Amino acid sequence: MKKLLGIFGLFVFIFVFTALRSPNFLSAYNLQNLVGWTSLFGIISIGAAFVIITGGIDLSIGSTVGLVGSLLSWLLMHKGWSEPAALLAVLAVSLLIGLSHGLLITKMRLQPFVVTLCGLLLYRGLARFVTDDESQGFGSAHDGLRRIAIGKLDVVGGFAVPVSVFIMVGIAVAAAIFLNRTIWGRYLLALGRNETAARYSGINTDRMKITAYVICSLLGGVGGILFSLNLNSIQPSGLGEFYELYAIAAAVLGGCSLRGGEGTILGVIIGTAVMRVLYNAINILGIPTHLEFAIIGTVILAGVIADELVKRIATKRRAVRALSGEP
Amino acid sequence: MKSKISARTFLLTLSIAVAALFTACDKKPEGGASGGKKKLAYVTNGVDPFWNTAAAGVRAAEKKFGVECEVLMPPKGVVDQKRMVEGLLARGVDGIAISSIDPKNQIDLINEAASRCPLITHDSDAPESKRLCFVGMDNYKAGRAAGKLVKSALPQGGKVMIFVGRLEQLNSQQRRQGVIDELLDRPALTTGVTMKTDPNGFPLIGEKFTVLDTRTDNFDYARAKANAQDAMASVPDLACMVGLYAYNAPQCMEAAKEAGKIGTMKIVSFDEQEAVLQGIADGTVVGTISQQPYYYGFESVRILAGLANGDKSVLPKDGFLEVPIVEVTKANVEKFRVDLKKMQEAGK
Repeated sequence: MKKLLGIFGLFVFIFVFTALRSPNFLSAYNLQNLVGWTSLFGIISIGAAFVIITGGIDLSIGSTVGLVGSLLSWLLMHKGWSEPAALLAVLAVSLLIGLSHGLLITKMRLQPFVVTLCGLLLYRGLARFVTDDESQGFGSAHDGLRRIAIGKLDVVGGFAVPVSVFIMVGIAVAAAIFLNRTIWGRYLLALGRNETAARYSGINTDRMKITAYVICSLLGGVGGILFSLNLNSIQPSGLGEFYELYAIAAAVLGGCSLRGGEGTILGVIIGTAVMRVLYNAINILGIPTHLEFAIIGTVILAGVIADELVKRIATKRRAVRALSGEP
Repeated sequence: MKSKISARTFLLTLSIAVAALFTACDKKPEGGASGGKKKLAYVTNGVDPFWNTAAAGVRAAEKKFGVECEVLMPPKGVVDQKRMVEGLLARGVDGIAISSIDPKNQIDLINEAASRCPLITHDSDAPESKRLCFVGMDNYKAGRAAGKLVKSALPQGGKVMIFVGRLEQLNSQQRRQGVIDELLDRPALTTGVTMKTDPNGFPLIGEKFTVLDTRTDNFDYARAKANAQDAMASVPDLACMVGLYAYNAPQCMEAAKEAGKIGTMKIVSFDEQEAVLQGIADGTVVGTISQQPYYYGFESVRILAGLANGDKSVLPKDGFLEVPIVEVTKANVEKFRVDLKKMQEAGK
């Protein structure tokens, strides 16, 4: 938990800073939007975290989002599939994507970077080909289904929580239990730290790695469903572009080490929230949009540097204390 | 295990490769029309439903003028566009119509292409290049027309915010300036690449209207929607949202719907996405400015087909063929929709 203090501090800082500068930031409407977007990006970031924990990388998340989103509306609107059938089909597609990544990486011994980079190109191309590169959308149909992405549930106090938040929390809790409370989670962390050692101690590392890639792509697929339902206007060439970077950045900000073996789900959610709050703050404070990348880059870099410095000071103090024999 | 290549073999191979390269470069690519139909190319500035309607115009003109025209949509901006044009030149075509993404800096590429085959611009001009003519509309005028729609919806004035994909493009700058100038009751400007634009990020205050900043999203629909949401959150008395690109207004509509402001929030759009046309019919969108992309495609192919057959009379006077804009409001939306559908059918 201590490791999360830095990123949580950054989150609180941006949050309080923006709230003090603009009263509208704390309006229920804005907070609803904020948690809504955080949930969508949070779901794909949790997926990214699983792969990163094994020491791998998935660059195809954005394209998976794009393919699943495009396929969903294409199946529903052009092929006339029923909602459950279309949902099952697109989830199966994302599962297959993850499975093939995992198999190629473990059985063929290909590098995750190469496999998923090719995936990035392949799934984007497929999305554009299947839909003939035409914009997809649900029009005013499927309003019931769209409620899982844009619907809100009233809770006490007049604050309506977007349904997507519950989906994200459900996924996050399941993921956290999987990672911290089951033996498979232990295996994942162990193999991320030292794959050879894990294999020698009897862990079927290949199977765990494949599982991680399947989880990642599956959550990318869930993200694709939610993004497409939320936006109602899907461009096969554009939906989800660069989202793998948002996901990887959120996971790393939240404490996942790119070398593998480290990471918590709560950290990933906070990492995602930092990114979303930054984008939101820039709009709310009326900072010109062409400055946004510069601001996001600077704030995150400053936060990470501060975090690192604090950690170093703490380690030094601990070392001094240990030497002087204090408790 | 490693086999070494001798220096002599290496040099020999290298010199053969270089020689082959030179002979290949020397050979001029043959024209695409080795008997049969003339081959043309229609290059867009990106992938967008807008261009699908233009492609329908291309298809219709292909049939009418007996030519073949390939429609190329570069997904990644300038780099892809360059790659595609180079590919066309290498294969050899009898005419190219291109929408210039960066008119100032693409002049070399456009002139290079223009030296090898008839070349015209459409949608976005490159006035300083050697293109033969430009097929398009006056984006500034279109912006002013959109401004008039805002005025009609809000006679008492109010706060307005503009949403767009990218502000670097000339057409978005001109549209934005047109909207601003109309709302602030400024005299009409003559347009050109060097047109002065108001800096972004500062509210522009007129007698009745205040134009707040212009938010960009880099073609990320989720950002486009979040921008609209954030605008409503930060400016509670926002009265009107103007979407300069086709997808902007639909995202504004989604955001307004969720905020319970659909109908009260005035939304003005560009282009003809189905969601917007439905919104106009339902009364939730004030209106949209259509550039009639179908005619971009149709007229471009008509001119190129003429040029490929040696007929120079197809070139418009002053090198500019203006495709008139259409203001779509509740009064004419049904007819517009029917016509649009007909055009799209004709293109299939």
